[in-house]
Amino acid sequence: MRVLITGAASRLGQAIASRLRERHQLRLLDSTPVEPGPNATFVQASLTDPQALWQALRNIDAVVHTGQPPAELPADELARDQLLLDLATRGTHVLFLAAVEAGVKRLVYTGTLEVLADYPDDVYLSEMWKPLPPPTMPVLSRYLGELTCREFARDYLVSITALRLGRLVLEEEVAGQPGDLMWLDLRDAAQAVECALQRDASQRVWWTQRWGLYHVAAPIANPKFLYSQATHLGYKPEHRFASHWGGEAP
Amino acid sequence: MNKKVLVLGAAGLIAPNITAYLDPHYDLTLVDIKPHPHGRPIGRVDVTSYEQVREAARGMDAIMNYTVNRPDPVLSFKVNTLGAWHVLKAAAELGIKKILHSGPQTVRPGYEYDFDVDDPPPIVGSGYYGITKYLGREICQVYARAYQIQTISFVFNGLESNPTLPVAGDFPTFTVTWEDLAHACRLALEVESVPNYFQEFNLHSYLGHQKYLLDKARRLLGFKPQREWTAFHRRPT
Repeated sequence: MRVLITGAASRLGQAIASRLRERHQLRLLDSTPVEPGPNATFVQASLTDPQALWQALRNIDAVVHTGQPPAELPADELARDQLLLDLATRGTHVLFLAAVEAGVKRLVYTGTLEVLADYPDDVYLSEMWKPLPPPTMPVLSRYLGELTCREFARDYLVSITALRLGRLVLEEEVAGQPGDLMWLDLRDAAQAVECALQRDASQRVWWTQRWGLYHVAAPIANPKFLYSQATHLGYKPEHRFASHWGGEAP
Repeated sequence: MNKKVLVLGAAGLIAPNITAYLDPHYDLTLVDIKPHPHGRPIGRVDVTSYEQVREAARGMDAIMNYTVNRPDPVLSFKVNTLGAWHVLKAAAELGIKKILHSGPQTVRPGYEYDFDVDDPPPIVGSGYYGITKYLGREICQVYARAYQIQTISFVFNGLESNPTLPVAGDFPTFTVTWEDLAHACRLALEVESVPNYFQEFNLHSYLGHQKYLLDKARRLLGFKPQREWTAFHRRPT
């Protein structure tokens, strides 16, 4: 497939590109320059530039919208939050509208499990739980981005798969730190994105089937964030954070 | 002493028609980016500027947000989504505990051919008006929960003057008269509490259709249409 990846300069964008580049042709998009690497091209553009996005989406089969903040954010907190909100809402809308107009049928959005962080640790959280995003913009904006994606699944014959990712780390870099129930290894996140790209529900009549929402978490023992739905996509996480949580995965 | 209420979008399509009803009861501060259509004194506040919203809101007991942009690909996000965030952020920062918000009937298009529609989740689609107001609504909900800001959102479509003569035709669905909207705003400004700090209410003035129900507004706010508008839409027999 020919896959456009937004937020390509981010750590997540890089991990996804690394995972996908062997089997897919990539077009990396970011407002910050990125070395595209093998089997990829780069487009420098803002998500709020409809013309640039329309050009970037020509001859693309699938979009991975990482929803990641740009590398350079304003130092001023208000300006930063305004930018994050604008990119997550208007930027996502501009991107998805351009994508459906360009005939793209598969879209993947990476949101965050942080929208469920307010729940206590003694519950098992599946996709059935109501998000309770905090008013902090880095999380709130990701939630609003997810909602924006969902409305496109209602309106268009496209397959939209939203992955709520855990807190992204590399397993080896958090060795020795206190365990975090929300940790997710970047490589497993990238694997989940590759699985999500295989999902095509674009011709389903019911919008609820064109839309897919999946939690993506690490396979730790006694998990708080359940990812069993994502296994139906083929997701098989490998990074268990065993030195923190021990035991076998459920 | 009357409560101090900031009215954003005071020169728009809605506010100028209800402020006269509210004037005797509240100390209203009218602000907008354009002159008031009836020539009333008005402050200039652009809801897309956080600093302007915050300074206008300072010292207020409540904020009524009637700003809106419907079709513009950029301004709809700036006014309806970013603007809503500015209002709630200012309320949180200044300790204001009452917000009146409005959502268009376009959060209900998925129910257009249903009846007994009471309090369903919004279905908005990707059109600029619906989605940007919906995102603003979600921001209201998040802030209401986090900061215990009592936020009441009215969902309606049309707005009409009070009929005075018999009308040979049906009453438009989901339409509220100015008088009823002003009455609902008063109830919302005065209600002590609502569950979960954020509540959205259907609002209209005509009970004949049995389509969009007013049960929740009646139950939580004590709202009912002020007059029997069905009397003006009687077919002679």
